[in-house]
Amino acid sequence: MNLEWNGQETIPASKATVWEFINDPAKIASCLPEVRETKISDAHAFDATVGVAVGPVRGKFTFKIVLEPDAGGSHMDMKINGGGLGSVIDLVAGADLVAQDDTTTVLNWKGTASMRGPVATVGGRVLDTQARRVIEMTFENVKKRLSGGSA
Amino acid sequence: MATTTDDLPARHSLGKSMKRKEDPRFIRGKGRYLDDIVLPHMLYLALVHSPYPHARIKSIDKSKALALPGVKAVITGEDLDAAKLEWLPTFHGYDKQMVLAFGKALYQYQEVAGVVATSREIASDGAELVEVEYEPLDPLVTPFQAREDKIILRDDRESKTNHIYHWEVGDKAKAEGELDGSAVRIKERILSPRCHPAPLEPCGVLADMNKATGRLTVYMTSQAPHVHRTAFSLVTGIPEDKIHVISPDVGGGFGNKVPVYPGYVVATVASVIIGVPVKWVESRTENLTTTGFARDYHMDVEIGATKEGKVTALKVSTVADHGAFDAAADPRKYPAGMFGIVTGSYDFPTAFAEVDAYFTNKAPGGIAYRCSFRVTEASFAIERGMDILARKLDMDPVELRRRNFIKKEQFPYPSPLGFVYDSGDYEATTQKALDIIGYDELRKEQAEKRKSGELMGIGVSTFTEIVGAGPGKHFDILGIKMFDSAEIRIHPTGSGIVRAGTRHQGQGHETTWAQIVAEELGLDPQELLVEEGDTDTAPYGLGTYASRSTPVAGGALALAARRIREKGKKIAAHLLEASENDVEWKDYKFNLKGVPGKSVTMKEVAFAAYTNPPPDSEPGLEATYYYDPPNLTFPNGSYIAVVDVDRETGAVIVRRFLAVDDCGVVINPMIVEGQIHGGLTEGFAMAFMQEIAFDESGNNLNTNFTEYLVPTALETPHWETANTVTPSPHHPIGAKGVGESPNVGSPQAFVNAVMDALAPLGITHIDMPLTREKVWRAIRDAEAKVS
Repeated sequence: MNLEWNGQETIPASKATVWEFINDPAKIASCLPEVRETKISDAHAFDATVGVAVGPVRGKFTFKIVLEPDAGGSHMDMKINGGGLGSVIDLVAGADLVAQDDTTTVLNWKGTASMRGPVATVGGRVLDTQARRVIEMTFENVKKRLSGGSA
Repeated sequence: MATTTDDLPARHSLGKSMKRKEDPRFIRGKGRYLDDIVLPHMLYLALVHSPYPHARIKSIDKSKALALPGVKAVITGEDLDAAKLEWLPTFHGYDKQMVLAFGKALYQYQEVAGVVATSREIASDGAELVEVEYEPLDPLVTPFQAREDKIILRDDRESKTNHIYHWEVGDKAKAEGELDGSAVRIKERILSPRCHPAPLEPCGVLADMNKATGRLTVYMTSQAPHVHRTAFSLVTGIPEDKIHVISPDVGGGFGNKVPVYPGYVVATVASVIIGVPVKWVESRTENLTTTGFARDYHMDVEIGATKEGKVTALKVSTVADHGAFDAAADPRKYPAGMFGIVTGSYDFPTAFAEVDAYFTNKAPGGIAYRCSFRVTEASFAIERGMDILARKLDMDPVELRRRNFIKKEQFPYPSPLGFVYDSGDYEATTQKALDIIGYDELRKEQAEKRKSGELMGIGVSTFTEIVGAGPGKHFDILGIKMFDSAEIRIHPTGSGIVRAGTRHQGQGHETTWAQIVAEELGLDPQELLVEEGDTDTAPYGLGTYASRSTPVAGGALALAARRIREKGKKIAAHLLEASENDVEWKDYKFNLKGVPGKSVTMKEVAFAAYTNPPPDSEPGLEATYYYDPPNLTFPNGSYIAVVDVDRETGAVIVRRFLAVDDCGVVINPMIVEGQIHGGLTEGFAMAFMQEIAFDESGNNLNTNFTEYLVPTALETPHWETANTVTPSPHHPIGAKGVGESPNVGSPQAFVNAVMDALAPLGITHIDMPLTREKVWRAIRDAEAKVS
């Protein structure tokens, strides 16, 4: 089961602020929905245990998340590998940051995921909807954090 | 002319709808299934499964699981390999099967490790803690990918190809020549998709090694307890007398509980090592993803015919998907089972069939799901092929069939693919079906509806099955001839106990076996206790699957009873103070010839056998018979489905379904009707709902009952049934078997009906299952072509 997503988010913060935020594993981890536990393993990697509820697949999944920032300060890749309850998820996401003005940054992103095991049984439409919800909530939390709110 | 059950002479016990003796305990919730059995100090096994369909196993870390309180052991393929228990033989002996993935995982959900713990929950938690590092490899998802041999699946085999075998039967050159010369010719690729029997009770085992006695007791969900005892002995090296297999009440099998599964072996190994009982009961997902699947035959069907609709030749070339191991439950000489029945009910002058089987990254299996070894696939191919030919000839599909039926005077009929059909009257059975359903009126109604664009379809299936494996000269499992057995002990008061080598899973043997024996001995079937499933007490038999119980064990029961009658005759002569030659068995008692009213009953004989046996004779009244049938039996039927298809949604409503079956002499009409209802419901599910499908990555997409649908009373159509009787000439009581006919005969009736409904749109074939989406897409595509 392979899924692809892409999109564009407008974030009310400068490009430098956004870049600094998405380079920080602790800040990124705090924006993921349903996070039960995080463990920062180095400056660009962390482990996260999250609650998953997709159809009949319900329980804890653990993921290793690695941030791979581009030296130019405008592109970030993120690799997420892990799973649980007999399922495996491999996700690769990439984001380009474009400064719209001094206080607004546009983030063009795309992601591909491959899924194996019970989670793949749930079916593309259900999974796709669920994954989009997680992505939307993550960006919502990022926006809240960068606009002074708490995620 | 075939007879009906009503036409048969009055019998003592056969042909009567006696209520099932087993039902009082089932309907009161007093059945005793595997998971009801709890033994002192019992541990539980949970299995770790591969999420990948194809992956190298780089490491397995047990430490976290072993650290969990309550976990007693973690077993891997490496552990089993060290104990020389890593490989299982497959039933036909041409391949071997991994118990736990070792080196590579070859299909998704393959068993990788086992965790033994003090509770089921702790075992499951422990399984989550086993860390397996995989290196994913590209999977082979279809047999067509596999046959390219770009990826070789099985490192363990010397032969570096995914091709397992080529099997063929018939005269290829002659069949192809006739096809080339035929005035009319059809060719269609027809898929019998991978499906699963999905018994409501999944598979399980409770292994209990008693280290003091050295005896292993194995409670298991088994359709073939004796074969499993032999298999356990062969795999473990434990002498067979030290193994006791007990198959308690079994909640449905349908072929799924014939193979030996890794969970059985790992639980047994754990019990042998730890010395306490270990239970493993699989989950629904484990059942659907790892245990024996059925079908998965891609069949190219070619039929030649004259313009008048007389068939001239048949050729069927099949690509078979066997999964990661060749664990198909087929007899040694028949790697493609009884696929040679593909000529069906029709008198083909020449025919040829071939099967090429391939390994893929899918669960192994290829079991006989409510059919006798690939008969459902064959029946589907020929019955769909005949319908497609009728369409090409612009001929009514019933008329085409009638022009080609094997005539009743042609029996015993040697088919061009090597079987000798025992008996049948296809014309009479079909006429009965046409009369009951009102075929001509339905065609008129259909013609009217077509004028207004309504999609109504009528589908027929006039199938012939082949069951009762079987003659020992041709059929074996693990080299053991496929006979079956019966043992009868009549007590002094005229009641008795009947044991057989079979193991029912809902077929009603506790009733029908008693009826057979009662019929032969003039006793009360209510006073004959039937016992199966315990290898310490039942005579050795090959078990219950492939519609073999009545054709084989049923014969053994009748012949064992006749042995009792022979001995009874001596006792009766003693009681009547007459010569044995002057005594005859008539009207269910022993009579003195020529002296009306001078007779003794079997009950009186039984009492005398223990209290007053003839001088110089052996006391007691019991007999055993091991029956090796001379031929297979050939149940047949004419099924008609009437459907309405919603053009806007693709929804199919099965308005009527009639099954007219000829299963030879009927033992219990109520049980036969129940068997037919169950089989038709499963056939309906295959036609419209069920497929074990995989995505391009090798993910199994149908791993639970939300994705693999089982029809409920809401979806299931109303079934109409009737029967004809042409007794099997070689079976001791003329029976042919019926359990699988409705499953074998019905899918094509449903599909033929839907294709008939869609004929005005130019749609020739859609592969099962005919889901609403598939039918809707076919209609949409066809309408797009027209507009």
